[in-house]
Amino acid sequence: MSKSVLNNILLFIVLILCQAIIFNNLVLWNTAVAFVFLYLIVELPITISTNAMLTIGFVLGLSVDVFQDTAGLNALTCTICCFLRKPLYHLYVPGDEDYAGRRLCIATMGALNYFKYMVTLVLLYSTVYFLVESVGHAPITRLMTRILASAAFTLTVIYAIDSLTLARREKRL
Amino acid sequence: MRELIDFFIRYSKWFVFAIYSVVSIVMLVSGSALHQSIYMTSANAVTSSVYDFFGGVSSYFNLRESNETLNRRNAVLQEQVEEMQARINYLNAKLAEDTITTWEVLKPYDFIVGRVIKNSVTRPQNYITINRGSLDGIAPEMGVIDQNGVVGVVNVVGPHASRVISLLNPQFRLSCRIQDSGNFGSLVWDGEDPRYAMLEELPRHTVYQKGDTVVTSGYSAVFPAGIPVGVIETDTRVPTENLFSLRIRLLADFSSLDNVQVVKNYLAEEINDLEKDEKEER
Repeated sequence: MSKSVLNNILLFIVLILCQAIIFNNLVLWNTAVAFVFLYLIVELPITISTNAMLTIGFVLGLSVDVFQDTAGLNALTCTICCFLRKPLYHLYVPGDEDYAGRRLCIATMGALNYFKYMVTLVLLYSTVYFLVESVGHAPITRLMTRILASAAFTLTVIYAIDSLTLARREKRL
Repeated sequence: MRELIDFFIRYSKWFVFAIYSVVSIVMLVSGSALHQSIYMTSANAVTSSVYDFFGGVSSYFNLRESNETLNRRNAVLQEQVEEMQARINYLNAKLAEDTITTWEVLKPYDFIVGRVIKNSVTRPQNYITINRGSLDGIAPEMGVIDQNGVVGVVNVVGPHASRVISLLNPQFRLSCRIQDSGNFGSLVWDGEDPRYAMLEELPRHTVYQKGDTVVTSGYSAVFPAGIPVGVIETDTRVPTENLFSLRIRLLADFSSLDNVQVVKNYLAEEINDLEKDEKEER
């Protein structure tokens, strides 16, 4: 049990609580939801094995589901995201030796790559989430606005979290 | 054999992915509100205590508003109590020689007060969690109301918390009556706006006016008759059809639910038994 594992478990619990207590009640204009817990999937080191990543994602999604009574919805979406995370990452960054074991953030990936990687992952998440949630019920315009607005909101919040942890690390140095 | 193991190891991520996806999809599909285990809903011990703790903090925010509504409601109820008291006295006098006691006739219902600790209005299917459970006498299929009107019906019950299917959930249909004309319809949420729902299956000859109150019909054991639900907003009549729907503005404010009452019907079991017999005979 290294320190980083403990840190990540703590992050897991804090993110789920934040999602359940704050962000599930903060739905902007009745459309945009922030998927804060996605930060865990974004930031875990890319060298982590796909099987472990899938398990983490599934458990994370399931925990969020239990809190908001959407059995299986977030679990499915998280599993898909975790599965596609590595290929997505390699779209922008070839080779994974450079960042072995380090968490993904602006500092380790570079601002542009990090931005592209995040946008893709978050868009993927909100697209799958709202598609599955509304299976054919919602009109297409409403679906598109929900997907885009939620992705934008999530990106903003995750950037905020990332800059918070960045500031803390710089102080330590 | 060795090759087989190698094969499984090499493609393990696909298998893991498939297993998790299938499990999630099964949960999604079979998760239709009725058959769910308590552990997979927000009424389980961990989530309900978390929500209870933080709900306790946020319920202070709209204390003033809810106090005002309660005061107003209290005044109305006070008037009704006076009126009922007069009526009971009158009936008692009339029934003096009868064997039925008025108590049994007039009081089949009891109300259990609870607090909403988790609520949503923006999902396609909304649920509410309240901080009362089986230890407080709550059972599935009990109605939930607040001071303004109908809120939902209890679905999954834990010892200290229970999950309620909100009226803002298309799985929940409520039998309703237009108060003045007495026509019956079925109220269901269309998934669009949390302030409105549709009263469907009304016969074409229904007489109504905009602003008429819609109340519960009392045709099931869940709600007493005459609990207000909403107010008629607009008409969506299609001239060629025999049945039509009305758009109803809901009286309960779902975005700021706080204190609710769970309706306990002492006759529920009896009525359900009778209905079961009726179905078996058919």
